[in-house]
Amino acid sequence: MSALDRTAAPSPGPIQHFDFPPVERRALSNGLDLRVARLGRLPVASVRLFLRAGEAALPTGRAGLSVLTADSLDGGTQRRSGTELAEALERIGARLDASAGWEGTSVDLYCLAERLPEAMRLLAEFTREPSFPLEEVERARDQHLAGLRQRLMDPGTLAGDVALERYFAPEVPYARPLDGTVASVSGLGREDLAAYAEANFRPQHGGLIVVGDVDGREVAALAEECLGGWTGRPATAEDFAASPASTTRRVLVVDRPGSVQSEVRVGHIGAARGTPDYFALSVMNLVLGGMFTSRLNLNLREKNGFTYGVRSGFGFRSRPGPFEVSAAVGNEQTAPAVREILAELSLMADQGPTEEEVSAARDYAAGIFGIQLETASQIGSRLTQLVVYGLPDGYYHRYRDDVRSVTPEIAAEAARRHVRPEQAQIVVVGDASQVAGPLEALGIGPVEVRPLQPNG
Amino acid sequence: MSRLHVPFERHRLHNGLRVVLSPDRTVPIVAVNIWYGVGSRNEAAGKTGFAHLFEHMMFQGSAHVPKNRHFELIERVGGALNATTWFDRTNYFETVPSHHLELALWLESDRMGWMLPAMDQEKLDNQREVVKNEKRQRYDNQPYGDWDERLQVMMYPPDHPYHHTVIGSMEDIDAATLEDVERFFTTYYVPNNAVLTVAGDIESRPTLDLIERYFGAIASGAELPPLPGRTELPSKLGSMVRDHVVADVPLPRLIMAFRTPPFSSDDFAVAEVSRALLGMGRASRLYRSLVRERRVAKSVVTYIYPLLTGGSMLLAWATGYPDTDLAALEEAMSEEIEGLAGAHQDEVDRAIALAETDLVHTMERVATRADLLSMFELYFDDPGRINRELDRLRAVTVDQIRAYARERLGKDNRAVLTYQPKGAK
Repeated sequence: MSALDRTAAPSPGPIQHFDFPPVERRALSNGLDLRVARLGRLPVASVRLFLRAGEAALPTGRAGLSVLTADSLDGGTQRRSGTELAEALERIGARLDASAGWEGTSVDLYCLAERLPEAMRLLAEFTREPSFPLEEVERARDQHLAGLRQRLMDPGTLAGDVALERYFAPEVPYARPLDGTVASVSGLGREDLAAYAEANFRPQHGGLIVVGDVDGREVAALAEECLGGWTGRPATAEDFAASPASTTRRVLVVDRPGSVQSEVRVGHIGAARGTPDYFALSVMNLVLGGMFTSRLNLNLREKNGFTYGVRSGFGFRSRPGPFEVSAAVGNEQTAPAVREILAELSLMADQGPTEEEVSAARDYAAGIFGIQLETASQIGSRLTQLVVYGLPDGYYHRYRDDVRSVTPEIAAEAARRHVRPEQAQIVVVGDASQVAGPLEALGIGPVEVRPLQPNG
Repeated sequence: MSRLHVPFERHRLHNGLRVVLSPDRTVPIVAVNIWYGVGSRNEAAGKTGFAHLFEHMMFQGSAHVPKNRHFELIERVGGALNATTWFDRTNYFETVPSHHLELALWLESDRMGWMLPAMDQEKLDNQREVVKNEKRQRYDNQPYGDWDERLQVMMYPPDHPYHHTVIGSMEDIDAATLEDVERFFTTYYVPNNAVLTVAGDIESRPTLDLIERYFGAIASGAELPPLPGRTELPSKLGSMVRDHVVADVPLPRLIMAFRTPPFSSDDFAVAEVSRALLGMGRASRLYRSLVRERRVAKSVVTYIYPLLTGGSMLLAWATGYPDTDLAALEEAMSEEIEGLAGAHQDEVDRAIALAETDLVHTMERVATRADLLSMFELYFDDPGRINRELDRLRAVTVDQIRAYARERLGKDNRAVLTYQPKGAK
């Protein structure tokens, strides 16, 4: 070997090709969209049952219903109490959990592949035959309400929740926290949950994704056995437009006296998952605030030391979700940090990223894609996205080509369309006596100070 | 019964660097992982938080790598990277597509061998501010944010190296100097105090050659100084210690901690399985009783710390409802924990079944395998332990758990930390 030259980065070795694993797709007799990816690395199976029972379809007065229903499934079934169900699962080392999001409810199972038949039967019982015992529903609701109280006192969570109200008009579901509000959740009872599950936990338009050391045909037979007799489609979703609360730039300070730091959110409505700008926005956002070496992080953290970290991101949902910059910054650094964030947004919106930045971000996105497809659950979660957003079957096989097709011009155009600093809503949770004056002095828009909501 | 087996081989360079290689070519990625045998336990009085601040300085460049370049180069190839500081060690790691292995080795070797020429006051001042904002974000501005500081003070005497937290104090972070950086680097960041693991899509021989090429020229350091303070501890606290806090917190919270044998002890497995019976899964004792049946807690969590020095900790943690009475919560938790003296075989069987699933899940990621191999090599000279984890837990008997509960989970070996929301009764 030649003498080592330490001054230059070594050049890469021969590239090892990586392919998204092949996926077998079948429709079950009940309409459920079954997708199986075989991954023989370790003897495990990761299963995800996705049902179209999500928070975005609920009116404001019933916000939190799908989350509470999902959380109450572990309360027991027609055949077993909650504890008996937990014991049955744990005896075979299976992890089973349900959770609700904006688009739907997901029932996730992870177990050793040899335990899959037993575990799938328990998954089916858990989903199809919940009994919602009164005391278990009350317990889940009390937990949920206590969780909402915690949200109010955690400065970062509070800043995020308040910011949503500033981005979205009050009637838009995205204006509220996913978990709902104290007012909406307090009114929910056992009958609401049982009726909701009966009407919405239905196979059509849903998906079953199985990844691991499994055989596609065996999985299909097992799924027919466990879920085949189940029929129907979820009650139709409520349609809505993601309209803004305001298009005037405004600052809101939520006063939290004694805070030693400010939680800052700067944002507005972003774009839907189906936007043709999806890849352009993803690459542009990496440059702006989506990786460690982003413009925002190098400025606020590595140059100025204002924060431990700052990031930006788009919440891509069926309708346009938030686009938001978030950071926790020191008190005296609050106004300077907001100034720098707005300056970076303006620079990006006006001029877009440079050729070099786009090239680096494309390479990052294409490379990290493979690294994040290592485990059965990671692959399962990607495949679920295809079902949720109706993306084409070959989506992930083409993913890196699509990323690489983003040019600086395309990214700049997307930034111009979707980054609007002049409409940004700024929310700061911090000590108003220290931060409101300097924020006012920035002259970026009207500053409103609101007291921290009392508990409950 | 599990088909889980992680292959590995061990080597040692002339400068004392320990190397573990673990080829697995199923995914074209590679994990490079370094553990240095230094953490907050090595910090002298007045220098708390320094091991962690130093970890930040390791990303500020080295002789041949300018500031931010390390992040830029790894992100450019689609890699993931980070570092963490803990009581007994500091680790640095990157996962990259396998054809970029050499890049990761170059970067890690440059900062192991040639970090100091790149250090200056401006970088130290910048990272000092970053770390202070990290401390504010994660601890000082958070409800319950001082819990670990309070707990460590109760669990470890003032002259023990675990008496202070990893993040340290603002005063000490403010007082750190460039001379401290130099001294710390020369003392602890030496090849003979480090383990390098490379796992994933590699061939052993060429990888070892590359490692020799990049790390072989780094000079060995002197023998490490002894830990500051006094490291021996009695096996039990000897009494019940308490701390009650009235603060701006949303809900009442109870944290109970028990001194356990250190991670290196054969008895540690008994403590691990006992922890699982108490709080792992929804059929566990604390969840079933406190959350589901009595409804005095919104959530319960149990942890066990894998600490090396003198003694470790087992924690049980319950968050109540707004009207939960802390005394009643403590009574209920105490009853369940002491009730472990009557543990049953079927609980143990369930805990082992869950542990097996969780272990296989952990092993799915090459980065985690590399991290465990580094840990077992650095702590125990035994990377092969990665393949015996399940057997070690399976060997625990129900009688051992009962005895453990009687001897170690009583009121004479317990710290109790409670938080009461301000303005509540």
